[in-house]
Amino acid sequence: MAISFPSTEYFEALKAQMAANEEKFRRLGFIDTTFGVSVGVNGKARNFVLEFEVFDLKNVSEVPSIDLKKVDFQIEGDTRVWREMIENIRRNGEADSSHDINTLAHFGEQLKIVYDDPDGHDKLYRFMESIQEFFDLSSKLEVSFN
Amino acid sequence: MAYLSTTDFTQDKDFIDKWLYTIRTGEMDLSWMKSATEKISPEEANPRRGLTYRDLNVGTYGYTDIPEKVRNNRSYAPRGAEIPEGVPDAQPWVSRKSELWAFNTESYYEEAVSRQWNATTDIPWDRLDGVELPEVTGKALSQLMTFLTEVEMIATDTPAMWLPRLNPDFIEVRAFIAAQAMDEARHAEVFRKRALTTGWGLMQASPINEMALKHLRDADSFSEMSVALHLVAEGNVLTLFRFSEYLSPTDVDKKIFRLVMQDEARHVGYGMQHFKYVLEHFPEKREVLHAHLDEAENISFAGAAATELTEAFIILAGGGLKKENIEQGIKVTTQFNLKQMQEHFERLDKCGMPERRERSKLYKMYEMGRAAAENAGIKLN
Repeated sequence: MAISFPSTEYFEALKAQMAANEEKFRRLGFIDTTFGVSVGVNGKARNFVLEFEVFDLKNVSEVPSIDLKKVDFQIEGDTRVWREMIENIRRNGEADSSHDINTLAHFGEQLKIVYDDPDGHDKLYRFMESIQEFFDLSSKLEVSFN
Repeated sequence: MAYLSTTDFTQDKDFIDKWLYTIRTGEMDLSWMKSATEKISPEEANPRRGLTYRDLNVGTYGYTDIPEKVRNNRSYAPRGAEIPEGVPDAQPWVSRKSELWAFNTESYYEEAVSRQWNATTDIPWDRLDGVELPEVTGKALSQLMTFLTEVEMIATDTPAMWLPRLNPDFIEVRAFIAAQAMDEARHAEVFRKRALTTGWGLMQASPINEMALKHLRDADSFSEMSVALHLVAEGNVLTLFRFSEYLSPTDVDKKIFRLVMQDEARHVGYGMQHFKYVLEHFPEKREVLHAHLDEAENISFAGAAATELTEAFIILAGGGLKKENIEQGIKVTTQFNLKQMQEHFERLDKCGMPERRERSKLYKMYEMGRAAAENAGIKLN
């Protein structure tokens, strides 16, 4: 059954995939960061907080708004961009060179990285490959977009 | 031979007699078993993570209570061990905690060890089979890789040369610095490998950038080295790696830049946490660090004059040498240069040096560049 995006269920499904692919994430190393994902839908935003610890996504929660002081950084973008990224991952098995997180976010034109503390911002890059591989697990999911 | 033993043991009759006596009788001394050291039972705070340096932060073995000035250990005795008479003075240059400590030092090291990767086997080099970039793009990519190899060799030497100068009581910092040297050696390796797989060989070394990088090696203190290396240089290089990932012509290059940026961001993280620590615990250092930043920022700005690098970026960003390619390349490269400067000042603000913007000539250049970019219709975030 397809999992709806954006939703807590989508991130929970990625969490389950991350656990199922533990060897890969152990090889990539510790990932200790809490970040927000904000998806713009019809002028409103649905916001999620993802807490990673050691090799795992420890917790996912949907929140009314993201307090930038409580997360390292936030990735935000319109649902159109997220959808294009996820569909690209599903087509290729991983994001192609035009759809990885850094490329989409680099100049803030597609996705945007917002943060309160530059040290928190830098955690996106400290754990870049793990975060990219995490989103690439979307290739293993059936995803629907409302 | 810079150091000679104070005794020639092969000619020391007492020593030889004692050695032969032990062989003959089996009689043992065992006084070391009475070492007056603390007995502890460290435990893993999180079994999934394993036994970390933080888990060993207990009693006399811990780092929390290291005094600001370490006077009682100038040898290689591990922190917490009994130090008998006769250990030599290793003459460490840095025995003051605030000169090198960083908040969360131990976790940066654990992260470094956990996130090591292998330039030989973790990069899908086979995906380059059959990839032929246009000559201009291929040469620009090789020039970028040539420059980065040069950068990373100096970035390997700089932390490595400080290692033996750090008091061994700061074992966690020493471990982090050793891991950094390994990271930088791997970066030099991966960039050299990528340069040579472009099919164009290496391109040209960069006099201006080498001059800039030499400044990193020649700092007068660890803190000055750290501010120049970890904060200024690696901060700039982190932005450069993200930019290079964005521009990468193949997914192999993307993978390379994603992996190197992880290491670089960790080094910047240590640099920020050290900078905060030194400003809080050694306030007299503030003016010295300002003076060192004056020089580091001047040299950082001079990097823009390295045409062999800037032009390679413009070509990669614009996709070629046609007029429209160059216009696009200059626009994107300008955005990148200004982003480097913006992020530099954001980091200094957060570390507790917001007055830097007032004093810094680089900040004035940033404002000038930003105004010129806006006038040219270049959008900035």
